[in-house]
Amino acid sequence: MRPDKPGEGPAVLLGEVRTGLLQHSVELPLSATDRLLGLRHGERVRSSQRPNVQAHSPDLLTGVDCALATGSHRSVRGVGTVTARAVLTEGRVLQASVRARLAAAEGAQRLPWSHYLARPGTVEVIGRAEAPALADGHLTAGPGATLDLGAIAERMLTGIQGGGGLDRRAPFRSRRIRLRWTAVRADLAGEAPGGRLTVEDDTLRTLRLTLDRIDPAEVTAFCEDLALHDWLLSTLGRLIERSGLGSDPGPGPVLKLRPAVNHLMHLWMPGARVARPLAPLWDGLETRPGFSRQWAAAVQRVRDHLALQAVGLHAQPVRKD
Amino acid sequence: MLVFATSDKGGTGRSVTSANIAYRRALLGDDVCYLDFDFGSPTSAAVFDVPSALRGVDQAGLHSYLRGNVAEPKRVNVWSESDSASLRNRPSGSGQLVLVPGDRGGGEFVTGGDAVRRCTELFLRLEEEFDIILVDLSAGRSYAAEMVLEATSRPELAEVVTRWLVFHRWTRQHIIAASGLVYGDRGIMAAGAARGHDEDTLRDSVRFVRAAVPDPSSPMFTQLRPAQAAWLRACHEDLTRLASQHRLGQTLVLGTVPLDPVLQWQEQLITDDDVLASRVANTETAEAFAALAVALTHDRAWESPL
Repeated sequence: MRPDKPGEGPAVLLGEVRTGLLQHSVELPLSATDRLLGLRHGERVRSSQRPNVQAHSPDLLTGVDCALATGSHRSVRGVGTVTARAVLTEGRVLQASVRARLAAAEGAQRLPWSHYLARPGTVEVIGRAEAPALADGHLTAGPGATLDLGAIAERMLTGIQGGGGLDRRAPFRSRRIRLRWTAVRADLAGEAPGGRLTVEDDTLRTLRLTLDRIDPAEVTAFCEDLALHDWLLSTLGRLIERSGLGSDPGPGPVLKLRPAVNHLMHLWMPGARVARPLAPLWDGLETRPGFSRQWAAAVQRVRDHLALQAVGLHAQPVRKD
Repeated sequence: MLVFATSDKGGTGRSVTSANIAYRRALLGDDVCYLDFDFGSPTSAAVFDVPSALRGVDQAGLHSYLRGNVAEPKRVNVWSESDSASLRNRPSGSGQLVLVPGDRGGGEFVTGGDAVRRCTELFLRLEEEFDIILVDLSAGRSYAAEMVLEATSRPELAEVVTRWLVFHRWTRQHIIAASGLVYGDRGIMAAGAARGHDEDTLRDSVRFVRAAVPDPSSPMFTQLRPAQAAWLRACHEDLTRLASQHRLGQTLVLGTVPLDPVLQWQEQLITDDDVLASRVANTETAEAFAALAVALTHDRAWESPL
């Protein structure tokens, strides 16, 4: 990697977002989020009410000095700080979002911490590695000895979920879902700008972004928005699957789908907080795989079922003879 | 809900019974997670028949997590990773069945504040996702048992329903030992009270499971001479009396698992295939596990007997 030039933004940004349900029986009112997300003394929790209610914790810095995966067996050393923050949407969905911008170190030695603290959220790479290789390494690294942004996010979520103020009686069980993402500048990646989202397994998604210009705050907000909607879609899908809709003709599914109607269905608002330069990325995801299409189909299915149950059609199946 | 399975002595079928309870709850539609806290001899991978998982947990098992070497312990999805053909076909309507194995050759280790904190965080984390978290503790008084008593006394876990299952065989020695494990000087009640647990609440969260109980009316015992049958009945009555003297009476028994040769020779999950198709296991055993699984959340079974 070569040092950043002024004005062109970082070469590589790495991040991970973990999304889960707030462990509380009701939506947390905005007035209570200050206490929940006030992770740093003396700094305010920022919140906004349009187009939906969202609160952000202050940024927390975590010092790191560890190996960075490069996608091959070789790893390089990274020293610096990573930025973490928590986001609460509509008092219901909690996210921990961690990001680090990578920059080339000037020497081969670690410098005093004051040097790194003056560059919050930047990890300096000591050793030779290209930007795309570092991005690959972040997406493919298993748990272990390399920089693990997910572990920082996980700790943050656990700290908030286990802290005071929550009654831990969530309306339904759900999984935390991980979105591990990278953004590489297009001129370094040798690719046209765009994004590629991959569903790796039940709880892991990866997103590769190639951008002309990387604005860390905007890219992070985009990834948080994507992670939120991916979680909503996955969680609603699981609730429907587990409700027995389609196999149980009785009233069972209605009862089991109640939390979806009460707590999830109004949260869908893709791209609401995405900066204009990144809006085409959402448009791309709406075309393929078609987030909103799948969401609309699932929501319609739930509503149709509720309507059918309401008129009692299930109780008297139509006889064919 | 957190469920701790413990026993004073080995050979009570604790691991195999609790694994079967986990399996039956998953069949009923709950999301179930089974944690192998038997740090001396982690065997759960064998019971769930996931040999591939055994190789993978040299580094990322529960010990590594509690020691702080990894951020999260490895999870094994039993439905997709089991070698057993009857487990691989996940029945429709069933919930998740996830095993969190211990490290191979983990051994006991010294606990400290950090391990307790990590243990608490793990319980909180899993409680978000699973209906039932079944924790298999090792036999006897162990660090693991002390750690979970410490963890559950913390305010973070105050809202989580916690239950204890104490397994014992149906013999004089085992009844006395199980009573000691719960009510003795260094037993669960004393250790829990020392850590700030409310004694009444803790006592009401303990139930006993009688394992390997011979049933004189079962086909296995049809060849008994009349004198032997009478003796067996007299023993049973003696033991019943002994159990109630030691506060293990019928009101505190969650269930009874009959003596089954399959479980004596191979610790495994008893599927309906084993009972109906290959018929190697007894119907009564499968029914006992199913009954235990239901009783686990049945309010009547957990009403205070006082």
